[in-house]
Amino acid sequence: MSLSSPGLDSALDTAAVTAARAGRRKAPRLGRRRLTFDYVSFLLVFLGLPLVIFLVFVISPFIQAVYYSMTNWTGFSPNMQFVGLQNFVKLFQDPTFLQAMGNNILLAVVVPLITIVIALIFASMITVGGPSHGNVRGLKGSSFYRVVSFFPYVIPAIVIAILWAMIYSPTGLLNGALGVLGIDNKQWAWLGEQSTAMGATIFVIVWSMVGFYMILFIAAIKGIPGETLEAARIDGAGRFRTVTSIVLPQIRDNVQTAYVYLGIMALDAFVYMAGLNSTGGPSNSTLVMSQYLFRTAFEKGQFGLATAMGVVLAIITLLFAALVIGVFRLIGGKDEGGRS
Amino acid sequence: METKDASISRRSLLRGAALAAVMVPLGVSLASCAAPGGGSGGGAGGGTKSADNPFGVAANSKVDAVIFDGGYGVDYVENSGKILAANKKLDGVTVKVSSSTKIAQELQPRFVGGNPPDLIDNSGANSIGWNTILDQLEELDEVLDSNNLEGTKISDTLYGGVKDPGTFDGKFKALNYVMTVYGLWYSSSLFEANGFQVPKSWEDLPALGEAAKAKGKFLFLWGKEAATYYQTLVIDSAVIQSGDDVRLPLENLDPKAWSHPTLQSILKILYDLIQAGYMKPGGAGTQFTQAQSQWSLDQAALLYPSGSWIENEMKKQTAPDFKMMGIPELPLDGKQTTPAGFMRAEAGEPFIVPTKAKNPAGGKELLRTMLSKESATWFAKNKLAPTIVKGTVPEDGFGSTALQSQSKMLDAAGDNVFTIKSTNLYGMNSDQLPIWNTFLAGGMTVEEITKQLQALVDKVKNDSSVTKIEIK
Repeated sequence: MSLSSPGLDSALDTAAVTAARAGRRKAPRLGRRRLTFDYVSFLLVFLGLPLVIFLVFVISPFIQAVYYSMTNWTGFSPNMQFVGLQNFVKLFQDPTFLQAMGNNILLAVVVPLITIVIALIFASMITVGGPSHGNVRGLKGSSFYRVVSFFPYVIPAIVIAILWAMIYSPTGLLNGALGVLGIDNKQWAWLGEQSTAMGATIFVIVWSMVGFYMILFIAAIKGIPGETLEAARIDGAGRFRTVTSIVLPQIRDNVQTAYVYLGIMALDAFVYMAGLNSTGGPSNSTLVMSQYLFRTAFEKGQFGLATAMGVVLAIITLLFAALVIGVFRLIGGKDEGGRS
Repeated sequence: METKDASISRRSLLRGAALAAVMVPLGVSLASCAAPGGGSGGGAGGGTKSADNPFGVAANSKVDAVIFDGGYGVDYVENSGKILAANKKLDGVTVKVSSSTKIAQELQPRFVGGNPPDLIDNSGANSIGWNTILDQLEELDEVLDSNNLEGTKISDTLYGGVKDPGTFDGKFKALNYVMTVYGLWYSSSLFEANGFQVPKSWEDLPALGEAAKAKGKFLFLWGKEAATYYQTLVIDSAVIQSGDDVRLPLENLDPKAWSHPTLQSILKILYDLIQAGYMKPGGAGTQFTQAQSQWSLDQAALLYPSGSWIENEMKKQTAPDFKMMGIPELPLDGKQTTPAGFMRAEAGEPFIVPTKAKNPAGGKELLRTMLSKESATWFAKNKLAPTIVKGTVPEDGFGSTALQSQSKMLDAAGDNVFTIKSTNLYGMNSDQLPIWNTFLAGGMTVEEITKQLQALVDKVKNDSSVTKIEIK
């Protein structure tokens, strides 16, 4: 918080004055504070207003959603009946929903892992993978790679999805390129065969995300003092050892953040899926919960059930974030308290 | 992310609990503000009814129409709106036409808020599921009972069976404006050049597939979003063979609907065609318009099952010498139990008038205008598709061979037409798509697809929260 804010200054003044007048050692408490105009308006603008906005636009839709998930609302009439947990029971007996949930969990495990590993490798090459004499630095031309690998992130997700849907089509670019290389795969439908649909989809998501997380990690690695890296080198650490023992522990917080963000993105994945395989893929092999939710709400007119799916998705997302933070804490070991 | 603060102290827990205690009741009251609170709209004071104003549209009122912007665009309603506004027998009524490609998403809040438009074209992939809004719709019998602008009773000017697709539980609630013929489409020039025989039943297809293969072509092809066109083909063909015996169990979600011997025999033939390599592989990974252009432009396959919108849809991607013709979907063999010419033809583009709209009489008046000869002819001429109004397509089909063959099929069928409603009624299409994609790619046996399609039917049947509608 910046101390230059006039509201805050006056608040601090008020606090000081109040304390002085009272002449006691006890810290001033809220209840005894004199309610000057400055103080009240400060509270209203900096605490009250954001809180109201937060309540109206964030909390209340949440609570509404939880309520709707326990009704049989069709979405197009003002009438609905409370049905308790019936929708949730129905969901967990629905094989298609469970399959979609499984696909989401697979995405949430695999996508962050691959993306982060690749992004880390690139980031290390660009920052510490360079020649072993002179300053610790990246490979030759690293600034060029840095810009190029960021390109996919600049393209909107839906454009990426449609682009790749064309590339993957049986007469598309990929099969054409393979044909030039002498591999004839009989116009393989990459997104149309159960064995490759999910893999091809994961590749697209990873492809579009690597650039951004690489930049994120580069920024983090640049924050590590050069002396530390040089000291490691003097002690005889190679590049790989430097990355695993010096760099990684220093940017662990960034990796954790990246993991949570990517996981949340993978649990949604709606845009990629809608562009690549809007129908849910062969035998629903790439169907995700958000797609199924959309379908249930607007095609089948079961808004209550669809909202229940949303609630389940939200709970899974929260659990995922908690799990990731927990795991990182565990592998973080004892040096936790020492920093920041 | 800062992990240091993640641990929860006793104090922050208490603080959180207190905050939650404050928030919950507040949130609930907020929620109840935004929740659907019923609506008051509805039946605004009308003008007096007369022969020239049969529904009593109030003078100087506005008609609010939301039209699906799909293959037919929205200009045909705008055109009718202009005719309505120029109608001197009404007093200054104006029409506002808005277009939408996502009817359900855009109109959902208006239905909940009790403020729906006066006329809606509830069509497209994102249309509103019928069983969720039926009880909020006006019955439209009085529109067909009224006279059109030329003074003829409207119901006397229409094709047979046009009320069926919009009739639910005996009540006529949706007026479907465009006549759609379901058939198999092919290029007559290609057939003539190669000496292919137009098939008469499913039993002719293996031979035609072999002939196509000899010329390096396929019999059929498909695209991933349109895989269920083959379901339409299979169901319609079975109905043509066995009539209501197949149709009613399917429509009313019978637990043995898909086990009917006729359906099974047709599925078996289709399975054999796929296994013999007459179906172009890779459709499950191909976007459907791209696949369709492989049929109409590259001519990689001979036949394509579709509704008659196919001509308009592929207009720009059709080979110049492609003389598109259609035949009704095929019976299983020569022993069909239904009358000759029996086919699936149904009125599409369902127009509805919500009861709670501000000006429902205006919505009906706009429909009446659209059903006048002038508007209907304008549509046929500009969209190359017949409306439900008879006699608007001249002999030469405005120069379109596909339109000619449509008129021919419709005339041959007369009143012997049927429609299939349950798929759209219960929103089953997207659940059926992955199944059909797998089957058409050769990844499923007849037993498996029967089991999976039946499971979907059973799921709807056994779901007590879904309102079922009996179809006769």
